[in-house]
Parts: sequence; structure tokens; C-alpha cells
Amino acid sequence: MPFAIENVRITDCTWMLAGAGGPRFMAGLGAEDIRVEWRERLDFMRTASPTVIPLGEDAEKVRGGESIPIPKRQSVNQGGSFAENNPGKRGISLNLRTDKGKELFKELVSISDIVIESFTAHTMGRLGLGYEELRKVNPTIIYIQSCGFGKTGLYSNFASTGPTAQAMSGLTEQSGLPAPYPPAGWGYSYLDWSGAYFNASLMLYALYYRARTGKGQYVDAAQTEVGINLTGTALLDYAANGRSWKRTGNRSPYVPAAPHGAYRCEGKDRWIAISVYDDEEWRALTGVLGDPAWTKQERFAALGSRVTLQDELDSLLEQETVRWDPFGLMEQLQQAGVAAGVCQNAQDRLERDPQLQHLGFHVELPNSNVGTWRVKDFPIHLSDTPAHSGGTLNRGFPCYGEDNDYVYGTLLGIDEVQRAKLAESNII
Amino acid sequence: MASAPPSQGKGFLFDIKVLELADQRGEFCGKLMAGAGADVVKVEPPGGNPTRRIGPFYQDREDPERSLYFWHYNHGKRGITLDVRRPEGQELLRELVPRFDVVIETFPAGYLEGLGIGYAVLSALNPRLVMASITPFGQSGPRRDWKSSDLVSLALGGVMMNCGYDPMPDGEYDTPPIAPQMWHASHITCNQTNIAIAAALLSREQTGKGQYIDAPMHQAIAANTEQDVPAFVYTRNTFYRQTGKHAGPAAYPTSVQTVTKDGRYVHTSPGAGHGPELLVELLIKHGLGTGLDAPKFQDVEYLRRPEVASFTSNLMRQWVASYKFDKDLWKEGQDVGYHWAPIRRPEENPDDPHWQARKTFSEVYHEDIDRMLTHVGAPWVAEECPWREGPRAPHLGEHNHELFVKELGLPQARFEDLKKGGVI
Repeated sequence: MPFAIENVRITDCTWMLAGAGGPRFMAGLGAEDIRVEWRERLDFMRTASPTVIPLGEDAEKVRGGESIPIPKRQSVNQGGSFAENNPGKRGISLNLRTDKGKELFKELVSISDIVIESFTAHTMGRLGLGYEELRKVNPTIIYIQSCGFGKTGLYSNFASTGPTAQAMSGLTEQSGLPAPYPPAGWGYSYLDWSGAYFNASLMLYALYYRARTGKGQYVDAAQTEVGINLTGTALLDYAANGRSWKRTGNRSPYVPAAPHGAYRCEGKDRWIAISVYDDEEWRALTGVLGDPAWTKQERFAALGSRVTLQDELDSLLEQETVRWDPFGLMEQLQQAGVAAGVCQNAQDRLERDPQLQHLGFHVELPNSNVGTWRVKDFPIHLSDTPAHSGGTLNRGFPCYGEDNDYVYGTLLGIDEVQRAKLAESNII
Repeated sequence: MASAPPSQGKGFLFDIKVLELADQRGEFCGKLMAGAGADVVKVEPPGGNPTRRIGPFYQDREDPERSLYFWHYNHGKRGITLDVRRPEGQELLRELVPRFDVVIETFPAGYLEGLGIGYAVLSALNPRLVMASITPFGQSGPRRDWKSSDLVSLALGGVMMNCGYDPMPDGEYDTPPIAPQMWHASHITCNQTNIAIAAALLSREQTGKGQYIDAPMHQAIAANTEQDVPAFVYTRNTFYRQTGKHAGPAAYPTSVQTVTKDGRYVHTSPGAGHGPELLVELLIKHGLGTGLDAPKFQDVEYLRRPEVASFTSNLMRQWVASYKFDKDLWKEGQDVGYHWAPIRRPEENPDDPHWQARKTFSEVYHEDIDRMLTHVGAPWVAEECPWREGPRAPHLGEHNHELFVKELGLPQARFEDLKKGGVI
């Protein structure tokens, strides 16, 4: 089946996940995404990815079901997170600090629909490659600038990664057990994904606007601002009621529910999340648990009362759940009509989740250096133009400079001799 | 009446019309499209959408017209009522659909089909229609009909096992995994569904045809975590969750939260690629410690020794602890190149002149309470296509007459009958 946006070309100057994630979705929807890199300033996900893709014997062990320590990195074409963040993209090397490099960049922009970059706010402008310059070579170019705090405003010189943006936006403070516990925050760069979602939407919106009006444009996007956009109700609670944010752990502060939390189960670090919104669900829950005597106490019968007795209720409930296998309990609770789910780790999602398997959680994608491995697929299903993380290339992440011949040769018409010279002179 | 002034420029989606039949699982989708310029019409049952019962409430008085949750997530939309369970309501929906580009719905899988207003019927009436169905587990599969909640979705999707507090020294946990508040299961799903809707609209520009979008929250969330899945794929290791920082293959002791005198926190992570010599630069700049100008304190290997790292880190922590949160010491970290930030409460952002310069927040007049309230505004700065501010969330059935009589052209008599019969 066709892709949604096969006729779109992106000059992709992003990195990390916050930057690289947006174009990842675009490649999965069919765009030709050309990731521009230079070896002296590589994406940390190439050079310092927390996960390294195993080769040879290590790879065989993992494929055979064995755990291994993180392998030693042998090249920049082995980053596990880089692979996850950049499937379906093409990759070229280009030194933007040279005049010839800038010229080539502008040539590429002249045949692109979108430029997206995630450097600190003034980098591209200082290189002479800001929007005003690029629109001279392509008047309808869409230029998405994405950095931590944005270009407009006071903090354009400040740098950010996901946790920085999460801290300032309020998302970190909103997550966790009530004080005196500190905030738990997010155990990953949630705002990298959120920023990536917003950037992908922005690129598509801007393409739509251009299709309808013929106009390109520049957008100044800020990862932290995306985070602020996810805190709206708390902001209104303060604006309207003067109430400051207070953490409530896993409880349901704004829809009456009890029990509502994560409860320990049998096994090492095993937990089940349960949400009970009414008395019928409560009776279903106690029924599955075999109606222990304490559940028959009148004071637990009504929702309102359970909400006020949550501390006690939670500890009594956990004395029951801790005797259960979490998956068995989940099955039984769901059969009885109670919203319940195991706190699943990565292995659970990849290997013992029949629903994710049915939906197609991951796809196998090849890379010329590491071979074929699983990558998460786009989780939303379009009936006529399904997305696919491998994109039109049906490929995993690009090795460094892997598509120089295609981009400089086929697209820009530079012959092999010239390309060799450009490589020799440290331009590509 | 809409209260906020209309924005000067057109939005990105200026000619797109969206019909939203959604609860908390899908309202954020419509909100984002409204901000991007689409005309989003929210369709509620005549008794009001269930999300009008979600708190907090204005002045804590529970009332369908005072839900701050509803005000936020339905900002920028118009609102009509229509009972999809009634044949007359279904007929009315079929009359509406040809006038819209997008339908967003969050009924249980198969529900609208059962009423004769599923995608097959609606797309026959409007082949250009893009229809997105957001459900907990998708339109098919062995767990299609399982129940969920924001919490349960974040559990099954893997978010919770990445978030929480450090384990005890023996590696065991005495605290549960944490589901970050509030409503992120919906945020994650709506954000990705928005991508799919926009892609379908672009595809329609080429083909003239709409399409159907099946948006399972479970899969959307399962794809949201970061390094745990690749780590398992490539090394078959699972992660430890840790206080305020990335989960990882092993728990490591350095905290990235530094407490201030008044018990608040500064996020003091250096950020990827930034070495310990920058911390020494910061300490010297602020006259902290002695002897830090010795050459060994320029040697990165020396600085990485655990006892040296702990010495410099403690100097920094004592310094931060000797000031209150509002001293904004995070800026000093940023000045040497570290990715520091204040761990703010959401309500502490509107006063920041940086966000004021970007117009991140907007003041919206609510005529029914005669007050201006600070709402979240634009998530980006786009001069050509400014974010559409307002109008405030609709009252129940506020735009019934406007939409059914003025725009759809129903005779006044039929409109009255539908009202009397409780169809709208």
C-alpha cells in the first residue's frame, strides 16, 4: 500500500531523541528523510548511547535468548538508541563549517520541502544557514527550529535535554508520592517523545498549509513549552482556585476511585495497577480475591468511604495481591470487569503481550552494519496509507554517510570523481 | 458567545472542520487541532459529556459547567448536543458528516458500527472523511474489550516501570512504580493520533479520499518509553527505575535533584557530553571550596574519581542548599553549559518573562464568572500560522442553534422538535 507522504523530502539536522524523533515519524509515513551529520560533532546516541547493538558472538547469544552485558562499542554505527530513533532515514556526511559544505547544504535545501534542526537556538544562524538565508534558495521551504527553550525569549542560549525540560515545565514535580518524598519525575525523556510528536504534527500541518496556500514558513518550537502544554488543568486550578500542585502518587485526585494504585504481587519487583470507580467494580474485585473477611466491612462498601480510607485500604489490598501472580490476577480481574494491568517491563511488552503482538508493536529492520533487529513501529493504524518505521526504504537506521552516493550523486548530480574529491577535502 | 478575540492570521488547519465525539481519551486531540486553526465541534450527549464531571472544579463546586478539566481540554471548540443512541440522533449525525473533514471518536470498539454510524456508513456519505477511533486497546485483538484507565494504561504500556524511586541498596524496591500525573495516557495517544490525522489529510490532498484511523492507547503508550525497549532488544536486560532520572540497566547513586533551603529542588544534571570540569568552573566562579585552581582540578580523569566527584558535588549541594528556590541558581549551571533547570510546579511558569515573551500563556475571559483566567496558550511560535487563542470551552449545547439551524439549515420547527424530544 502507498505511504501517506511519499512525495516529501526532509533535510534533517536533528539529533538525540527530541530532535530525531519528529523526522522518524515522517520517514515512517513515507517521507524521504536525509539525516545530515558530521563526524566531529556526532549525535551522542551514536557515540555514547546507553545501549550498544551486539555483533558476532554477542548477537548470537542475544538472539538465542541470553542476557549480555552492554557490548563494547566498535564503531559509530552501533548505537541502540540511535537505531531506535532513526529508522527509515537516509544518512549523509556534510561539514557545514566549510563554504563548499554550506553550498551543498543549500543545494539539498533547494530540493527539499522541510528543514528541521535541533541545535541550540543560534547555531544555524551563525553558520549563515538560518531561515532567511535558506528561503532565498527555496522560497516555500518549511523550516522547523526545535530547541529546549525556543529561540524567541530570554533563554535562547540555555541548553536542555528531556529531563531539563521536564523539570522546568512542571511535569517532574507533578509525578511521584506526596511530600516529603521528592518528585519521582519521569524515568526517561518523556518530553523528547512529546517534542517529537509536536514536531511531526507541525511538519505535517505546515505541509498541509503549504498545499492549500502555496506558502512555506518558519516555526520556533520549544520542547519545554510542549511540556507546559501538558500541565493545563493544574494551571487552571491555580488560576481559578489558587491551589498549588500537590502530588498524590498513583491515586485519582479528580475522579473518585478507590482502590486506585499499584499493588505489589508475587515475584521480584512485580506490581499490578488497579482502578476501581464504583461499587460494582469493588464487589467484582473482592470476588476475584475470594471475598476475604476484611472486604466485607461495611465501611469499605461505598466508594465515598473507600476514598477517605485509602491508606488502610491500600495496605489491606496489598496483603492480598502480594500472593498473586500479577498476570493471573490481571486476567481474572479483567474477566470480572475491573480495569487492571500489570506494570509491564520491556520484556513483558515484547514477549508476553498478546495484544501488542496482534497490533504489531515492533518490526524487523535491516542495517548494513548490525544486521536485522526489532524496532518499535508507529502505533497508530491508518487504513489506506499505513505507516511503517522502515519507511519507503524498508530499512533500519543509516550508517554514518551511508547514502552519500545517492544524495550527492543521484539527487545532486555530482559525479563519482567530484564526490571523492569532496570526501578527501573533508567536506563530505 | 466566544470571548477571546479571533487571531489575526489563519491557523495551519484553517479550512478543516472536525466533529469530536470524545471523552478524556480523545479531547486533547481536538484541542490541539483547534489551536492549530481547525473548526472543532464537540458533540456531547444531551445530558453532558462525562468529562464535565472530572475535577478540579471552579471554586471546588462540582457542576457540569465548572469543570476546569473540561475548560482546559475543550478550549477552542464549539459545542453541540446529540444523542447518538436515538435514531433521530443518528440521522442528524449522518446529515452533519458530509460537512466535516474529520471525525474523532472514543466509543468502545464497534459501538458506532452497531448503531449504523460506523466508518463504513459515514465514509459512504463522505468519501473524503478522515475518521479516528481512539480506544484503550484498539479495534481488534484478544484484549480489545478489556477495561482501562489512565493508570492502567500507563502500567501496561511500560511507563510506570520506568518511573519511581531508587531501590534499596540490595536492589529491592520499597516503593511502587509511579504513573506520572495527569492524563498522560491520553496525551501520548492524542499526540500520535494527531500525527496520523494530519498525515491522512495530506494524503487526501493527493488522492481525494479520506481513511480510517485505529488508535490503540495501549500500543501508543508502549511505544513511548525510551531506552528500556532497545536495551532489552539488544542485550536482554531490564531496567531499574530511579528517583528523578532515567531508568537504567543498573541503579547508580548520583542524585540529579539538589535540595534548596526551602525544601524545593533544582535539577542539576550536567547533560549529555558535559564534563566535570564545568562544575569546577562553577565552583571557582562562586568562590566555593579552596585549592580548586590546582592543575589536578582541570584533569577530567582525576575529577571522575568517586572521592573527588563526591567532594565537588558536595560543595555544589551545600551551595544550592544555602539559598532559597527563588534564587534561581539553575541559571548559574546553565551559564557554565550544564543542563540545569528549576523543578517547578506548573503554576510557577506563567510569571517567567521568558514564557511571557513567547506568549506561552493567554488570558481568557470567562463571562459566566466574569473573570480572566490564565490558560496555556501556544506550544510554538509561528508568525505565519499563529496558535488560535480561545474561545473558552463551550457550555452544554451552546452552539446548537448556530450549527443545526444556521449552518446545517434545519427548519426551526424540526430543531425545536429535536430539542423537545431530547435528541439534542
